[in-house]
Amino acid sequence: MSKQIVIIGDSAAGVSAVDAIRKKDKESKIVVLSDENFPSYCRCVISDFLAGKVTEDKLIYRSNEFFKENNVELKLSTKAIKVDPKKNRVVAEDISDNKAEDKKARSAKLQFDYDALLLATGASPKFPDLKGIQKKGVFGFRTIQDTKDILQFVTMADTACVLGGGLIGLKAAYGLKKRGLDVKVIIRSPNVLSQVTDKTSAELIQKRLSENGIEILTGRDVSEILGNGDIKAVKLDNNKVIACQIVIAAKGVRPNTEIISETEIKVNEGICVDEYMKTNIPNIYAAGDVAETFDVTLNKPSVNALWPHAVDQGKISGANISGDSIKYDGSLGMNSVEFFDLPLVSMGIYKESQNHETLSKIYNNDYKKVVIEGNRLVGAVLVGNINHSGVFLKLIRDKIDISQIKDRLLNENFGFADIRDLIKEEERIYVK
Amino acid sequence: MKKIYFDVEKCLGCRSCELACAVSHSAAKELEKMISDKDKSLPRIKINFSKDKNYPMSCRHCKDPKCVSACMAGAISKDEKTGQILYDEKKCVGCWMCVMVCPYGAIRPNKKVKIPVRCDLCTDIGEPQCVKACPVKAIVYFEESELEKVKSKK
Ligand SMILES: Cc1cc2nc3c(=O)[nH]c(=O)nc-3n(C[C@H](O)[C@H](O)[C@H](O)COP(=O)(O)OP(=O)(O)OC[C@H]3O[C@@H](n4cnc5c(N)ncnc54)[C@H](O)[C@@H]3O)c2cc1C
Repeated sequence: MSKQIVIIGDSAAGVSAVDAIRKKDKESKIVVLSDENFPSYCRCVISDFLAGKVTEDKLIYRSNEFFKENNVELKLSTKAIKVDPKKNRVVAEDISDNKAEDKKARSAKLQFDYDALLLATGASPKFPDLKGIQKKGVFGFRTIQDTKDILQFVTMADTACVLGGGLIGLKAAYGLKKRGLDVKVIIRSPNVLSQVTDKTSAELIQKRLSENGIEILTGRDVSEILGNGDIKAVKLDNNKVIACQIVIAAKGVRPNTEIISETEIKVNEGICVDEYMKTNIPNIYAAGDVAETFDVTLNKPSVNALWPHAVDQGKISGANISGDSIKYDGSLGMNSVEFFDLPLVSMGIYKESQNHETLSKIYNNDYKKVVIEGNRLVGAVLVGNINHSGVFLKLIRDKIDISQIKDRLLNENFGFADIRDLIKEEERIYVK
Repeated sequence: MKKIYFDVEKCLGCRSCELACAVSHSAAKELEKMISDKDKSLPRIKINFSKDKNYPMSCRHCKDPKCVSACMAGAISKDEKTGQILYDEKKCVGCWMCVMVCPYGAIRPNKKVKIPVRCDLCTDIGEPQCVKACPVKAIVYFEESELEKVKSKK
């Protein structure tokens, strides 16, 4: 039966939902809304765009042709402002520049009725509650537009301060450094990437960043951003003042749930979904950074705001909207980054704790650690040599009993051959 | 689709497959000349040596490819017609997400040129060079649908 499907957000989750729906259903009408002004792009790659490593056209994830070929009505610069689950309706407004001038056109609300709705609104940067945070020159780092705005300032700046030493903060720092700026990263925690990986690996990365001219101030917070209109400096909690013209707020992200705040849709940290990616309203689904899914290593619901998860969750919600009943196999923290030639992979649980046994090995810049709970692998960290890291992910995801191979986990070439007898071979590889 | 399979009972671990692969993917395409290539060509097939057996491994061109969902640069895609996993080097930014999610460890980073090393079935030549190079026929290349027949013959 032909339906009307509305998807809010045309990034990783929204696009893969379109793919999944069109695999089964060529008839239903699909409308995709985005409050951005660019067709879907590779959000994670904006740091390479900032660095000057890639050009804007290379960021395209799915071009306008994709939406045309799939018979999707893509409404860019269209911001959903309210979801009405009783009327099965999304209310939105046109926020394109020309309309912004014309108040009357702007206030004319658009309405989109749906049989099924996918909330794929992603997340937005958290801005710390700081005096001066609204000054010109303070940026979040989430969109192409953010990047372009930052680049406008780069030409006139010599120093940038990045607040926060997570993945996004460090990627912004890297990009700005490549543009020739002096970059200082100000972090409250004792080391970088404290939400991503363990201390030992974080210190290796931190050392590499420092060696390449990125200054890292740990155990410090900013208390105020100074300047009249434009930024002149930031003041730290020890009253030290650092002159700078750019501030990047990279203190984490928050799921974009405002548009459903007046509905009965359940929200915890993110939108709560069941294993079919469905919210507590039967025809409303959520996927990607906005959704809170079951974390297979923590054993509880969690927001794992990561690109691969957004794609997988989008795929499952799309298929289920089209009549399938596919279950999502859950999420987990997993990151892969490389700074100045030093790669890091971190997955699952990485912190030491009483409930876990950890095995680790370090030589020079090569570090490997595994975290074990009972007879299961629940986490792994690799620095330097990241070959075969996916094999660890397989062991974690499939909850394989590793007691037989425990003594081999840290071997340099531990790989699929070592786990072959323990798993179900999904793709045949060996005829004998 | 036609896929590469391995016979662990036959593999001697001689690495002829690795060499043939590296040569055919090099700029020079010849062993003697390849040595002086600026960026060393790395084999996309690797033998995992485990206990007493040798396990060759290369991209499985999976039905449900984890690398495709994970590729945050949109560089890896699946050709729905042929079933092959395609890779667009121009879009790749060397983030190693594909390495992190490949359950077979069949994708490795080429750290120098920042691209993943992954079997492309030698599509440009027509036939995987590792298959040709294997002196003991431990590497075979045939339609997935033939798999059951091959197994039952043995
Ligand atoms: C600099 C950077 C680096 C990153 N690096 C990595 C990495 O290395 N690995 C990794 O796994 N992840 C990384 N991420 C995270 C990754 O980008 C996200 O997990 C992914 O984009 C989530 O996809 P999504 O579709 O859920 O949401 P998003 O990509 O956030 O897209 C949501 C879209 O919906 C739009 N939208 C929101 N509200 C509305 C509304 N009311 N009306 C209309 N449209 C709306 C938004 O503007 C946006 O376009 C990175 C992110 C950034 C910013």
